[in-house]
This record gives sequence, structure tokens and C-alpha cells, in this order.
Amino acid sequence: MRFERNALLATLLITALLPLVIRDQYLLHVAIMVLFYAVLATSLNLIVGYVGEFSLGHTAFLGTGAYAAALLSTKLGWPMWATIPAAGLLAAFMGLLIGSITLRLQGPFFVIVTLSFAEVLRLVADNWVAFTNGPMGIAGVPQPSWLAQAGNLATRQFYFYLAWGVLAISLYLAYRFVYSSAGRAAVAVRENRYVAQSVGIRPFRYAMLAFVLGALLAGMAGGFYAHYISFVGPEVFRFAFMVSMIIMVLIGGKGTLVGPLLGALLVTFLEEYLREAKELRLSLFGLAVMGIVLFLPRGLMGFLATRREVRPTAAPPVAVAIAPRRQGV
Amino acid sequence: MGTVHPLGNAPLLEVRGVSKSFGGIKAVKDISFQVREGEIVGLIGPNGAGKTTCFNLITGFYTPTAGQVFVKGENVTGAKPYQMAKKGVVRSFQKTNILKSLSVFENVLAGRYLQTRQGLWRTFFPGRAVRETERAAREEAERIVHIMGLGERMNAPAYLLSCGELRLLEVGVALAAKPDLLMLDEPAAGLNSQEALGLGRILKQLRGSHVTSILLVEHNMGLVMNVSDRVVVMHFGEKLAEGAPAEVQRNPAVVEAYLGGGRAA
Repeated sequence: MRFERNALLATLLITALLPLVIRDQYLLHVAIMVLFYAVLATSLNLIVGYVGEFSLGHTAFLGTGAYAAALLSTKLGWPMWATIPAAGLLAAFMGLLIGSITLRLQGPFFVIVTLSFAEVLRLVADNWVAFTNGPMGIAGVPQPSWLAQAGNLATRQFYFYLAWGVLAISLYLAYRFVYSSAGRAAVAVRENRYVAQSVGIRPFRYAMLAFVLGALLAGMAGGFYAHYISFVGPEVFRFAFMVSMIIMVLIGGKGTLVGPLLGALLVTFLEEYLREAKELRLSLFGLAVMGIVLFLPRGLMGFLATRREVRPTAAPPVAVAIAPRRQGV
Repeated sequence: MGTVHPLGNAPLLEVRGVSKSFGGIKAVKDISFQVREGEIVGLIGPNGAGKTTCFNLITGFYTPTAGQVFVKGENVTGAKPYQMAKKGVVRSFQKTNILKSLSVFENVLAGRYLQTRQGLWRTFFPGRAVRETERAAREEAERIVHIMGLGERMNAPAYLLSCGELRLLEVGVALAAKPDLLMLDEPAAGLNSQEALGLGRILKQLRGSHVTSILLVEHNMGLVMNVSDRVVVMHFGEKLAEGAPAEVQRNPAVVEAYLGGGRAA
């Protein structure tokens, strides 16, 4: 508990200082993508790691958020500070809708149905030309006007801190959820549905809470993406995003808050460096996932998933009071 | 029998003519019994008598085909398991069911759900009240771990526990939910006689101090006869006998059910 909190705070603090050191635009862009993916991985982890159900449809929320931000700013002229939260809220609403259907299923059924929802949304985005501009996508998502005068580096720095802000909010919400009674209930359901129910936990309620929270965070990430890339097309629903998110969560360690951050960092950099390998890249990722599943099933940070709360092991407090052992401790 | 409760004279649990069929098989046939306040009731019977089905019917994991279940006079037939916990009825399972990858302490803390749950706002913006609740829940969970004699194993992951320790932990998790009626499904299965004796002592202590009444399914006759005030015997889904332990042990029908007709005399 303490360890995770301190690790998260330290990560955020160090990250906040990065633009002071990094002056290279390309590196800054990679760093921005790391932050963006960290939000996505954190949000997916809420479902995979804490509800224990494998969602393959998380791009539905990323895409909903991206399209929401793009449409709100191009058609209605909303400023960025309003579109990103709105993107999150709309995605959360979508999460509520999809969750109320899919969360009644478990295991492989849940996987397939979530996947099909994302696919349906992709088809809608692809074919509803009047609204989404179809395969052409929405280009020229507005950026704050003052950025036009600022230099390229300043623009990157601005987006870096924007992504940092979204990540900070995401980590705060995720942390509060995980280390609350609600998070404990979700973990109890993940570990054993029957025990959870017999002590009064309604599984659906906490699966839904985690699902909607995950959707909210993914939606905000999508909103950020729309403004940063300044273009949104149906490919935000594509499976490649899903693959990256899954690998990040698995490599880092599902069911931990620090894991997905580490996963996002590793995978984003790997993706950049393996760019020249093209098709081979995906095969290498496939091998990486197999290796993780076989040799490190709980991920790099898996050791954090258990022993989150530690109490003194010694005899009951009364006995401790009788025979206090101060020496050598 | 037991303490008189201001709520009235309704028994803590009343099972009235409950039946359950699975297809053509009648697992439980017209069972009726009561658990009054302050009582420890043993539910016994040969394997396949329908004891666990009975548990599932009471706690909402199954819905009865016929009959009703009342808790403190309120009809709770067909309530969901998580609703039963709110009514004060919490059970353990015959096949060990715990939160495997969590520590002993975390298991018990998870059992404390009903006392710690918060609204949406408080989940994300906890104030002092939430911290106070959480602190109290942790202390209580720690106390329960000690009561169950698992203090040494406080931070051990549950999958490392021995069979006997797991049984104790299960009781601890159920206990953490602060039930009025604690329902234990074979808590002594897999315990040696020494451990079973220890469990019996713990159960007797719990009644009155932590729970109002206990309903116990158990095959360890030493334990059942030792702790129960009353015993209900089931056989082939039906109630065969009911009474004080000594009475039931002398009942010829019960002896026959356990040992078979020819050797009963």
C-alpha cells in the first residue's frame, strides 16, 4: 500500500521534471506516448487486474473518447479543457451501456462480447459518413490558438504536461479505487465469487464500477489523443491499440498499479526501436507475451499483487504488552 | 432457550417445508427446522443426505422449489446470497473457499465488507470518517485472526496454509462479516481430532460474544455432539430426527441410517 503510493508519487514527480532535461522533440514525443499508453494500460488493468475479466474491447472507450473530443471541438467549437473531460464522461457512459450487458458474462464469453462491441463501434465510425466522416476520419482537430505562436518544442512540452495531468488524475482515481473498500470487494470477487457473495458483496456492482472507471480513463486518453495527433479515424478502434495495452498490462503485472506504468514504458520504447523490423515486430511481441505467460505469469511487478497489507505477525497485542521486546528490534 | 430478544419471539432462522428438486431428483424434501437465538444447532446425516443443499437453499445460492425461509420473522426465500449477508446470515463452504492469493489478514479484512463499504464519492475522496472506519476494520480483522489462532500466519498468503488453518481462516472470514447466524459447512473436515477439539472450543466462545447462533453441518460426531444444543438429522433429503445430542444418539432410526438396518440392534 505504502510502497505503491510512494512509487506512484515518485514516478509522477520524476516524470514532471523530464521536459527540463529532454530537449529533443522526438524523444519528447515518445515520452508523451508513454504517458498516453500509461493511462490506457492503467485503465485496462482496472478490468483485467482487479475485476479479473479479460476485456478485448477496451478500444471502444478509447475510440469513443477520441471521436467525442474531435467532434465536440470541430463541430461545436468546445475548448480543449472541456472536450477531454467530456470525452471521459461519454466513454464512461458507453462503459455503463456495454458493461450492463457484458458484465453478466464471464470468462471467454465476456472476452468475445467485449471484442464484438469494439468491432461494432469501428464499423459505425467507418460507415456513418455524415457524422464521423467515415474512413476519411476527422482531420484538423483544433489545438489551442496560442500554440500557433509557440515553437515546436513548446508545443510538445505543453502536450507532455497535458498527458502528465491526465495520467496524474487517472492514477489518483485508480489508486483511490484499488485501496478502498470497493477495490477490496472487487479483488474478493476476482479471487472467489462465492466467498465474496457470502460476505455480502454484490459482484456485478464492483465489476461495473471498475469497468466504468476504466472506460472513463480510456476516454480521457482518447480525448487527449484526438487533440495531440489532431486527427481521428476509425483506426482508433483497431486491434493494434488493444494488443499494445494487453502486452503492457501483462508485462508490467496485472493487479498492480505500478506494473502497467512500467509496461507502458517498456513497450512504447520497444515499439519505437523495433519500428524498422516492421512485420517482425508483431511476431516479436507475440513471443514476448508467450514468454511472460510461461515464465513470469504475474508480470514484472507481480510480487506487488499480493501482500498489499501487512500487520505485525506476533502474538496478540495483549501478549505483546506483557513481554515487550525492545532490544534488537 | 437462549436470550430473549426485544425483536420478539421469532426464531433467528426458520426453515418451513423447504424442498428442492434437480430434474427428477429430490435433493431436499419438505425440511422444517428452527435455529433460535443463542443456540448452536448441528445438522447431520450420511453423505448425500442433502445437508449442503439445505445450506445453499437457506443462503440463496439455490432457490427452493417449495417452502419458505425466514430470518428474524422476515421471509427471505429466494433472496440473493449477498442480500442474505445483510440480513445477518453468513456461511462458510464445504469445499474450502477462500481468497487464495491474499494473505490471512487480507482475507479476514475482505470479510469485513459490509462494515467498510462507502458511497461513490467517499470511495474517491475519503475523509476522516472513512479513515476511521478503515482503521477500526483493520483492528477488528486483526483481532479475529488472533481469535482463530492464526496470529502467527497473519501475513502468510492463504495458499500456503495447512488444511486445518484454512478451515479456521474460513470461519474467520465468515465471522468478519459480523453475522447473527454463522453457518458452517463441515468446518472440521480434514482436521485431526486435536484440531477439531480446538475448533469446538472456539465455536463455543464465539456464540454469545461474536455471533448470536451457529448452524453447523459436520461429520465429526465428537465435535457436533460436544458443541450442539440441538441436532437435526437428515437422511435421503428428509428430516429423520431432531433433539438434544443425547436423544438423537439413542434414536434407533438415526442409528439405522448411519450403520444400516441389520447391525442396528
